[in-house]
Amino acid sequence: MKISKEKFGQSFDALTAEYQVVAPVSEAGAVNFKTAKSFSEVKQDYLNSKLPPKSLLFPQHEKLLSYVKEGKDITVKNELKVGKTVLFGIRPCDAKAMLLLDKVFKNDQYRDPYYFDRRDNTVIIGLACNKIAPTCFCSSMGISPACSEGSDLLLIDLGDSYNVEVITEKGKELLASLGELSELSAQEQALVDTVKSAQTTSKVDVSTITAKLDKMFDNSYWDTLHEKCLGCNACSFSCPTCHCFDISEEVIKSEGSRVRTWDACMAPLFTLHGSGHNPRDKKKSRWRQRMMHKFNYFVHNNGDIACVGCGRCIKGCPVNMDIRQAIDGVNKAEVVVD
Amino acid sequence: MIMGETKPYEPKIAAFLCNWCSYAGADLAGVGRFQYPATIRTIRVPCSGRINPLYILKAMANGADGVLVSGCHPGDCHYMSGNYVARRKFALIDSLLKHVGLEEGRVNFSWVSAAEGVRFAEVVKGVTERVAALGPNTGVFKVDGGGTDE
Amino acid sequence: MNSIIDDIRAAARQLLADGKVDVVIGYEKGSLPLKSTPCFVRSPQDADKLIWDETCENNLATYAAQTAGKKAIIAKGCDSRALMVLLQENQLVRDDLYIIGVSCPGVIDKNKIEAETGEIIEATITDGKVSVKGIACDKEYNFADVKDATCQTCRYPNPVIVDLKIGGSVEVPQSDFADVIALENKSDAERKAYFKEQMSKCIRCYACRNACPMCYCQECFVDCNAPKWLTGGVDSAENLLFQTGRALHLAGRCVECGACSRACPQGVDIRALSRKVNKDVKEMYNHESGISEDIKPALNVYSADDPEEFLVKE
Repeated sequence: MKISKEKFGQSFDALTAEYQVVAPVSEAGAVNFKTAKSFSEVKQDYLNSKLPPKSLLFPQHEKLLSYVKEGKDITVKNELKVGKTVLFGIRPCDAKAMLLLDKVFKNDQYRDPYYFDRRDNTVIIGLACNKIAPTCFCSSMGISPACSEGSDLLLIDLGDSYNVEVITEKGKELLASLGELSELSAQEQALVDTVKSAQTTSKVDVSTITAKLDKMFDNSYWDTLHEKCLGCNACSFSCPTCHCFDISEEVIKSEGSRVRTWDACMAPLFTLHGSGHNPRDKKKSRWRQRMMHKFNYFVHNNGDIACVGCGRCIKGCPVNMDIRQAIDGVNKAEVVVD
Repeated sequence: MIMGETKPYEPKIAAFLCNWCSYAGADLAGVGRFQYPATIRTIRVPCSGRINPLYILKAMANGADGVLVSGCHPGDCHYMSGNYVARRKFALIDSLLKHVGLEEGRVNFSWVSAAEGVRFAEVVKGVTERVAALGPNTGVFKVDGGGTDE
Repeated sequence: MNSIIDDIRAAARQLLADGKVDVVIGYEKGSLPLKSTPCFVRSPQDADKLIWDETCENNLATYAAQTAGKKAIIAKGCDSRALMVLLQENQLVRDDLYIIGVSCPGVIDKNKIEAETGEIIEATITDGKVSVKGIACDKEYNFADVKDATCQTCRYPNPVIVDLKIGGSVEVPQSDFADVIALENKSDAERKAYFKEQMSKCIRCYACRNACPMCYCQECFVDCNAPKWLTGGVDSAENLLFQTGRALHLAGRCVECGACSRACPQGVDIRALSRKVNKDVKEMYNHESGISEDIKPALNVYSADDPEEFLVKE
């Protein structure tokens, strides 16, 4: 079933009255997810956003609460702000990444209200990839350029219309406000089939990586892997699944707030203790942590690899550290897996 | 104050004063009862050479409406050359801050000796007028605490 | 180019075989088109990995102090200037350093190409032409047109300090500060808007700082907790504080390699700040960093008649 882009655009504009509608927008030379007021602002032809959409649910710098001290009185204010949001046009890799983040921010003991109150109020309209970049390798990560995992509705661009696929109940509800659907022509059906069967050209093998990493903590592989890394946070901040953060107090005079800020395993400060001791004091151990967290610890804790193959870290790295090569390196390491 | 009349805007100015000259100059102004606007918040530094550019930037970020940096006249440094070295630094700071769009007059530099009590009062008066004319700090470094641009 | 590559490899092989150095820091082919990647060669047989072309954009001087032992470094003009400043600042031991100098024709600005062609699938460089097969379109460029902005204003393409010079010299282009002057001539409001837009892109990943050979502080002011100069917020005001603070810390030290701008994953015009400072340093104190061992850094010296225009008007 399809909906014309014209009609979709009108519904999109109407949605902005009720929802905060976030969509890919071209700004200052880059496409990123921003609040859009009308469908005409939405960037149509884009590979993927420069930065991942994770910041909508998990902002880079977020006030959790604030407080004011007057005399002996302290007033504390909850800073959680949640509104109904529609997230339009996120790619299947990023939609899958949301599912991975869900596992981080909720488990059987704890639910992060800042992330999850937003998450529960967000409807995700995924948009399949018609074009595949040479740095994309999602097909190796258990998804594909038209994968529906994580989306509530999945669209496929057919030129002047979108093929619409309902994935969840939430998506079904939203669809009701989008307008009438019509049947696909045979030609359009063929296009849908092509997009759905597409695979990324770049591939890596992660079939044994978790088991191998189980035995690689002390492997000599880590001695050289990190060498050219500059230790910046470009990879982590552009990763849709990286989620490490720091909580700090920001106080000026008698007013202050508790804030949560993205942090990253590549930064030495991330693990620096108050005593001055740093358990991960070398780039070597920080790179081991990055690989282990994504391909081993996360799998043991949450049952999934914490990489979706979006390729942003490869494109963003100033020294061309390529996670695909890092994975290949693990594959080549001489370790016997039981 | 008459009812309905609003208090005139008084800027807050962070003043970094060298212990050996401008700070003593401020003291002398006080002892001599030379009036100057109560707009400055004095921070005593051992020498104008101690001024880190970040002091100025952070003052602006935390909401000071203006900054005054004052040291010994060139040639009179208590440590021989501290203010000569500082002078090079100040010239670059001043130029770069204007370049990135900070209004002229927000950040001010001067040399005031320990003997120039009257002049200190005049400098503060002048700086206060300049900063007051610019109004409250909404400048390029002012952090609003939101943490994001949106 | 090819003979330069052969000579680099031969020199690296010899140095390692003779035990003169423990490691040769150079470039190898990267995993992406038009991208090389730094590499650390430790055995003579690995020397054939080394390459040299217009994609060798990283400033390898950044690795010099971090790498233990005796090291040889492939150095372009700007890299050698960085090594010179590091030597002046006692960050490197001269006897542990072997500088293989190569004159540099400039490096490619990949972002400029990708803005037109989309992500690059394949590319070749031959005889001053860059042929690109992009995801959006295919295009051929003259190298001069896609040369990195830094290299277009480079005044020192030839290494200033070498132990071994490979290849010929490159003609030194005439260059002034036209880019800075253009920005200076804009109105205050325009410049303010320009920097605000640039800073709004910054994600504070610190790639610029980490790529910079001159940024070696044990504790960078951005990481300092007491006093806490920055909150970790990522609004344009705080980002500007970071970038301005950094530019001022590099005053009289920046060697204009452009590693900061090229490292930036967000395409922030970081050089706009450091270029302005460099212009001021040149005009006010007639100083350029890292061009001679004998010239003291501009901010370490003074003159009785230094300019004072910045003083408050009374």
